[in-house]
Amino acid sequence: MEITKSNFKAYATPQFKMLSDEQIYEIHLATLEVLERTGVEVFDEEGVDLLASAGSHVEGKARVRIPSYLVEDALKSAPKRVTLASRDGRRKVLLEGTKVYFGTGSDCPHILDSFTGERRLSTKEDVEKAALICDSLPNIDFFMSLGLVSDVPGAVSDRHQFQAMLLNTTKPIIFTAHDETGMADIIEMAAVAVGGREQLRGNPCIGLYAEPSTPLQHSKAAVRKLLLAAQEGIPVVYTPCPLAGGTAPATLAGTLVMDNAEVLSGLVMSQLRQKGAPFILGGVVTVMDMKTAIIAYGAPELHMLSAALAEIAHYYRLPMFSTAGCSDAKVMDQQAAIESAFSCLMAALSGANLVHDVGYLESALTGSYEMLVMTNEVIAMVKRIMRGIEVNEESLALDVIDKVGPGGNFLLEEHTLHHFRKEQWHPELMDRNNYEKWRQAGGKTLGQRTTEKVKRILAEYHPEPLSPEKLKQIDAIIARAGARKE
Amino acid sequence: MVNMKEIAENLVQGEVSKVKELTQAALSEGTSAQQVLNQGLMAGMDVVGERFKADEMFLPEVLLSAQVMLAAMEVLEPELAKAGAKPFAKIALGTVQGDIHSIGKNLVGIMFQGIGFKVIDLGVDVSPERFVDAVRQEQAQMVCMSALLTTTMPFMKTTIEALQAAGLKGQVKTMVGGAVVSQRYADEIGADGYAPDAAAAIDKAKELLSIG
Repeated sequence: MEITKSNFKAYATPQFKMLSDEQIYEIHLATLEVLERTGVEVFDEEGVDLLASAGSHVEGKARVRIPSYLVEDALKSAPKRVTLASRDGRRKVLLEGTKVYFGTGSDCPHILDSFTGERRLSTKEDVEKAALICDSLPNIDFFMSLGLVSDVPGAVSDRHQFQAMLLNTTKPIIFTAHDETGMADIIEMAAVAVGGREQLRGNPCIGLYAEPSTPLQHSKAAVRKLLLAAQEGIPVVYTPCPLAGGTAPATLAGTLVMDNAEVLSGLVMSQLRQKGAPFILGGVVTVMDMKTAIIAYGAPELHMLSAALAEIAHYYRLPMFSTAGCSDAKVMDQQAAIESAFSCLMAALSGANLVHDVGYLESALTGSYEMLVMTNEVIAMVKRIMRGIEVNEESLALDVIDKVGPGGNFLLEEHTLHHFRKEQWHPELMDRNNYEKWRQAGGKTLGQRTTEKVKRILAEYHPEPLSPEKLKQIDAIIARAGARKE
Repeated sequence: MVNMKEIAENLVQGEVSKVKELTQAALSEGTSAQQVLNQGLMAGMDVVGERFKADEMFLPEVLLSAQVMLAAMEVLEPELAKAGAKPFAKIALGTVQGDIHSIGKNLVGIMFQGIGFKVIDLGVDVSPERFVDAVRQEQAQMVCMSALLTTTMPFMKTTIEALQAAGLKGQVKTMVGGAVVSQRYADEIGADGYAPDAAAAIDKAKELLSIG
């Protein structure tokens, strides 16, 4: 019997809302008010000039008050979708709507060594390995360095860091740079890898990560990089890191307004420099812990605020950068697992587009391969949850229920054989054995099993290499930068 | 007679006006400034410290008490000077060149004021020269530097070298801090001390300046 229904498949995936539409609008209005009333400080002449020429009010050299119409213009001209490509030009990461992608975070000064258990300064080799591991993991869609390269000359460490990333993964890379010149070199290196500047512009495999300084300040370095990105058509993630109670109001809504004001003033500068420049709204928003004064990456407030920001971005119909898979734990322990799981699920439910910081421990000060690999599995579980429950004639299974009848079983039914692989997620790291089997296999904890997987990946996986030609050209760019700095 | 315990209790509660009033009243009654300082204000800060350790008071409340301390100190200072008391340590504090992050530095500054240090807050993006000037002109006994970025950390070293070049390294202590700084880094650059957070900074500062 054919059943006709309308709108029946409308809610096939889980629904989640942190803010109501009215609340989002209030936050938007409050943001516009902050920009007109309090304004921002812009420590770059070109940034100030762009804003002033467009009609902003400038007080002194750097204090700029931005009229609401400029913000509305920028929101309109910014592209509603930004696509990142893999190194070989495949358009893989579509930052639009509520599509969710996960990746690592950048620049942890330390790394937790998987072989010695030591917490030590990150090296270039650590970043290479992180890239390789991410390249191998099916649930990691993009890469940020995880480690901060410390064993090369400081002035050009950003180029070395990028090289380590570029050579060991084909996934899109969100990079950091010391300044404009570092960024220019990095863009050139990426262009070599993909086969030219036009190729890079058309299918960008890179995006810039830059930060304003909360509260309400845009440093010179941040603005220079932001404007260069706009000029070169490189997608930019502009991410404030407000700490509620410290650099932002203690109330969560006020912190959202703070973040939004900084992001949107960055967006205005970007669009004034180049209309249509690809821009991704962001925020690493959380509380300042009032005992230890740290930026609390594992706090429930981080998940809530990130979800709220995603909803605000959806209201603007702009791509959004969120935060998950991270922890304040010093080692990959139960705290790390809890904080990773909560954050990943919330980020996915919120429909955030580019979700970063997978692999972060110690509030962004230490990177961990174990955290990364464990979270890859967390994301797999999250993806299963996000696929939702299909309700249709086949899935309601009335015929097979009747066939099996009271007291039967479904194991050998064709319906089961046909559906079980898709309906049921099968774990790799999570253990479901009975006690005896688990004991026989060594009685290992999740942490131990994860370390084994990390070592396995490092031993067995090989990312696709670049041609010797290209490797040489990339080396030359770094050498040139080194020579310049002397 | 003004009760020293009342001063301490009001300091713990963050009551600025009350504490100033009581401090003034105590002085008028003939209580020595030193006694008010030790048994009233410092005693109060000790309680704050204990409650902070026990998770009963948190940073905003601790900072409020520190501000009360600062306000009361302004009333006490002339009397303390008259009585020939040793002047409080002067600390030049700032975020290094190229870095505009300030919250950590501000936290430390207020905490230092809370234990009676005189803090000369140089602000952010402070060049080595300005740190040197602060030592020369204000006779600062300690220079405390903050940095959040690994790219600006090197200016901590530059500043220490500048103090050396100005012949001031012997007479001034240096301390560094910030999320990316470590004991190891402090040792590498020849800083006298490092502290992982504001509370530890107080202990370290007292140690470096040989204060009880």
